[in-house]
Amino acid sequence: MDVVVCLRRVPFTQEVDLEIDKGQRQILAENLAFVLNDWDNYALEEAISLKERTKGTVTAITVGTEEDEEVLRRALAMGADTAIRIDSEGLTLDPRNIARLLARVIRGLRFHLILTGAQSDDLNEGCVGAMLAEELGLPHASVVNKIELGEDVLEIKVELEGGIEEISTIKLPCLLTIQTGINEPRYVSVMGIRKAAKKELKVVTIEELSLDKEALVPDVYVERLFYPPETGGAEILEGDPHIVAEKILRILRERGVIS
Amino acid sequence: MKGTILTIAEHRQNSLREVTFELLALAHELGKAQGLESVCLLLEGEEQSLEGELKGWCERVLVLKAKGLEVFNQEIWQAVILKVMGDRRPFMVLFSHTPWGMDLAPSLSVSSGYPLATDCVSVVIRDGTPLATRQIYGGKLFAEVSLRPSGTYLISLRPGSMRVENPFGLVTQIESLMGIEIPQKTKKVFKEFVDTGAGEIDISQAPFLISIGRGIGEREKLEEIKELAERMGALISCSRPIVDKNWLPKYHQVGTSGKTVKPKVYMALGISGAFQHVAGIKGSPTVIAVNKDKKAPIFRVAQYGVVEDLFKIVGALKETLGG
Amino acid sequence: MLELWTPKYLFWPILLIALFAFLRSILSRIQVLRMAQKDPRLDHLKERFRSLLLDGIMQWRQPRYPFSGILHLVIFWGFVVLSLRSLQLLSYGLGISILSPFETGAFWDLYGLLKDVFEILVLFTCLLSMARRLLFNPPRYKGSHEAEAYLVLGLISFLMITDILFEASYCLLAEKNELSISQAMAIPFLKFSRTSLEVIYNLSFVLHILAFLFFLNLLPLSKHFHIITALPNVFFRKLKTGSIKPVRYNVQDIEDLEYSGTKYIYDLTWKHILDIYTCTECGRCSDNCPANLVGRELSPKMLTLKLRESIYKTYPVTVQKKERPNPIIPGEVIGEGEIWSCTTCGACERECPVFIEYIDKIVDMRRYLIEQGQGPSSFNQVFINVEKTGNPFGKPPAKRADWAKEAGEIPVRILKKGDQVETLLFVDSYPSFDPKANEVTLSVVRGLHKMGEDFGILGPLERDSGHQVRRMGEEGLFELLREKNRNLLSEIRFKRIVTIDPHSFNTLKNDYGLQIPIYHYSQYLYLALENGRLKPKRVIREGTYTYHDPCYLGRHNGIYGEPRELLKGILDAPLREMSKSRDRSLCCGGADVGLWYEVREEERMASKRVKMALEIGADHIVTACPFCMIHLEDAVKTMGLEERLMVVDLMGLIDSCL
Repeated sequence: MDVVVCLRRVPFTQEVDLEIDKGQRQILAENLAFVLNDWDNYALEEAISLKERTKGTVTAITVGTEEDEEVLRRALAMGADTAIRIDSEGLTLDPRNIARLLARVIRGLRFHLILTGAQSDDLNEGCVGAMLAEELGLPHASVVNKIELGEDVLEIKVELEGGIEEISTIKLPCLLTIQTGINEPRYVSVMGIRKAAKKELKVVTIEELSLDKEALVPDVYVERLFYPPETGGAEILEGDPHIVAEKILRILRERGVIS
Repeated sequence: MKGTILTIAEHRQNSLREVTFELLALAHELGKAQGLESVCLLLEGEEQSLEGELKGWCERVLVLKAKGLEVFNQEIWQAVILKVMGDRRPFMVLFSHTPWGMDLAPSLSVSSGYPLATDCVSVVIRDGTPLATRQIYGGKLFAEVSLRPSGTYLISLRPGSMRVENPFGLVTQIESLMGIEIPQKTKKVFKEFVDTGAGEIDISQAPFLISIGRGIGEREKLEEIKELAERMGALISCSRPIVDKNWLPKYHQVGTSGKTVKPKVYMALGISGAFQHVAGIKGSPTVIAVNKDKKAPIFRVAQYGVVEDLFKIVGALKETLGG
Repeated sequence: MLELWTPKYLFWPILLIALFAFLRSILSRIQVLRMAQKDPRLDHLKERFRSLLLDGIMQWRQPRYPFSGILHLVIFWGFVVLSLRSLQLLSYGLGISILSPFETGAFWDLYGLLKDVFEILVLFTCLLSMARRLLFNPPRYKGSHEAEAYLVLGLISFLMITDILFEASYCLLAEKNELSISQAMAIPFLKFSRTSLEVIYNLSFVLHILAFLFFLNLLPLSKHFHIITALPNVFFRKLKTGSIKPVRYNVQDIEDLEYSGTKYIYDLTWKHILDIYTCTECGRCSDNCPANLVGRELSPKMLTLKLRESIYKTYPVTVQKKERPNPIIPGEVIGEGEIWSCTTCGACERECPVFIEYIDKIVDMRRYLIEQGQGPSSFNQVFINVEKTGNPFGKPPAKRADWAKEAGEIPVRILKKGDQVETLLFVDSYPSFDPKANEVTLSVVRGLHKMGEDFGILGPLERDSGHQVRRMGEEGLFELLREKNRNLLSEIRFKRIVTIDPHSFNTLKNDYGLQIPIYHYSQYLYLALENGRLKPKRVIREGTYTYHDPCYLGRHNGIYGEPRELLKGILDAPLREMSKSRDRSLCCGGADVGLWYEVREEERMASKRVKMALEIGADHIVTACPFCMIHLEDAVKTMGLEERLMVVDLMGLIDSCL
């Protein structure tokens, strides 16, 4: 089975105090570390393991700058056969345009299945996958957490809210957006990535896709970023751990959950 | 003709999802301010009659009853909604940002050509166009976004964003849709629903939950928490990463993809408070959050917060409880 | 000597056959050594010869186990002395006289006496050894080839007996009248007829030679190969403890390798194969291995034996050259449980009488697993965190020096590129971010401040030293960290580095190759105490103390004295040694794999250690490593001993006296 997997590099923001830049539309990214979007990592692992099971190929694609190639090298190290970067050429692209660019490239590829992450850690839009599927006229399903192979068809599980899962079948070729936890992504060692640096990585420009930069008008435009309003929030219990523990126990007793 | 806000009703296993009422609440709020009609589109099976539940919540319900509409299918929904949008040209269409909504809204945006803002937590209309607020970077920042000028705007709303209590007392007209062709053959075919929530314990009924998140760091540390929970008579629940790592079975998970809980006290240890998680604890009157990161979003929903290493607090709690 | 009945030409073919067989075996063993990887071991020749003399010939490590050690020394020295005798007998049988120039005079008389003494001693020792194995078989022999041990002890005894009989019958037949032990041995045969004596004389000779040649051929097939390989193994020993071998020696571009680490037996270096040949199966490694002691899957001895069995099976002496063997990992010969159980504490290597190396082998197997993505999944996030944020917790680098806010009045200088400072305090990740370890960091800072030291930290620019990830098998990541830290260090001017964590100390000292003095705080503060820059204001009078040696301070870097001297400087209370201390200190659980991976075990290492402290009545365990402190404190808590035992960091204790 030939799988195309779409990847995105996102800032690693765990415990980071994010700062908004002067233009108010972006965060200050200078001092941030970047990683492969968590959901995409699961999608990538799923693609690689499908390739291993079916003796197919994996093509990894990202839209971005040269720095974003890091995620493609990770994919190559993990076992992807081909990697393509669509050069974003300094544009801030919204999901609709990302889907557009991806579709242009993927149309020319041989594939049975496209995988994307269900959403991204940073902007959380959760829509590139379904948009891409529609661009390509493919059936699709979002938030998939299990894939089983059949004849020209997949049996998939979609995670719904409230602990309910939906099982359905979907005809190939199709696009699935992957939920975390679907597998256990393997580790890609630094040495593995260094080795993968020698593999070929294709770069495609927007021009080569016969698209006009001017025509890539965003559907969604960020007007401004702001810090979450300081709502009443929690009453902070202060003091050393023992004093805090006393306070917590008092609350628990008041609420009648401990005696 | 009066402009409309079209809400796409979401239902499952013969009942409307709560998020539908949230969407209607938003539609009502915006409609009132802008003089728009709140219209709900309900696609349901032949035997179903969910429209009754919508009475008082909107001004009009468009009902399409047909075989095959019992369960959501993006291909069918998309075809029907495209038709309805074409006929009625609504000012705005509201979707839920649920797995189904995530399946539907983006592809509709592509096929209709209307702009879409997903996962919004609030929407206002300024100068005739919507301005939506989204939470980004795990809730660390908010973004205000506008949409490309268009005749119709698509918005998907994050579940849990609107407070829903009682119907608005609107006079609701029920209108049946006729002459809409329903695709018979779809590429995706529904098989069944499975309840993954069933397990050895039922956290949804527990009066006291000690819930753990990524902050516990290592699997071994789970024992310390279990010990504390046992001594306090609490059940253990957790956030998604813990289940993803297989540290606890799925039936411990709280949140949109896990269980909705309503304990008297919910003690969140090392949980940052992603919205998917927080949505599952809205029913809890008392949330105590312990987290090292003073900016963790969990502190915004908690009544009590402790900014400290959770194990220091766990240790102190155990010591205070004594032998 | 008297004429033998047996014709000379009989011995020649026997000898040639025996030598041929022996050489064939040896060549087959050498073939594996040649297939193995390069490993330069000819540096520091002076040190090597010194070690060969002390550890190889004098066998200084043997008496660490007094009883068996002395038994071994006797047998070893017997072999040294009796080898000349064997040569003499062999040449005698062959009818050549290569030794005849020496076989006269006082030297030879003395040698005759020595030979007799040793034959009796060796015989007695062999019998004692067999009795000991029979009656009080120590658990460390579990899994060793016991039958072979008896066979060899029996064989040696047989050699002694046949030679004694030979010599005794000779004395009577030749009517020698010197006072010698051989003559005393001849007493039982005084009444024997000349014919009987001649039978004894000839038979014992033939049997002795046959046994000797049999034994010779047994060597390369058994654990007694060490008789041949032990001395070279000691000579080529690893001199720099604490370091880890590179992925490959003499390979410039390791990216060109198909894979890194050890997958097949020939991925080991020749020295590591020699190690495997040399193992005497004494089990001292496993007897001291903390992983083995707490019931983890690992026994260093068995690791060697399994590898040996695999080599002997894959490359038998009877068949030449088999190409692609089966991999040894994962799970083929060595299981993942074994590979991840090791804490790299070094107790096995410190104990091994023949200097077998374990850490490098295990780490190299880990490298293979990690590169193949077969490591424990719990490592994934840790590695990504280290790569992306420079610390295993994934904390933002900007917060790396946040602990310094707690230092109060004390200015903690955060160095920038181009800055100059006397002492650079390399804090490392745990002491930067872990709340418990932060306390140690703060007390070190207070100590330095009180000494009036001009010091600074690297703050957000510092990255994890990489000690952990290197030992977890993520070599590429280690190289990345080392490169970044080295580049950073090269842009700051300083005279020395002081570290808080013995692991950072070790890796900066042994893995980084820096040309600048590196101290653990205990060393540096000891110097300050000596020259009066550090003046404790009070001494501690209450309590009973014991010092727990951190592996990477003690065993790997030989720092035992300084922490104890520092303690003595502030204690007016008893300082006792635990049953295992100094270079036999028991690892607390370690600072690498164990932190992120749950290894199956019956008991925590730290709780075993805590019991040792209780045994000697200590109520304070002092240590000089944040990880030891965390593990031990944890054990004290889980054992419910908070009232009886306190775990304190050396620096915390000193700080309280300043």
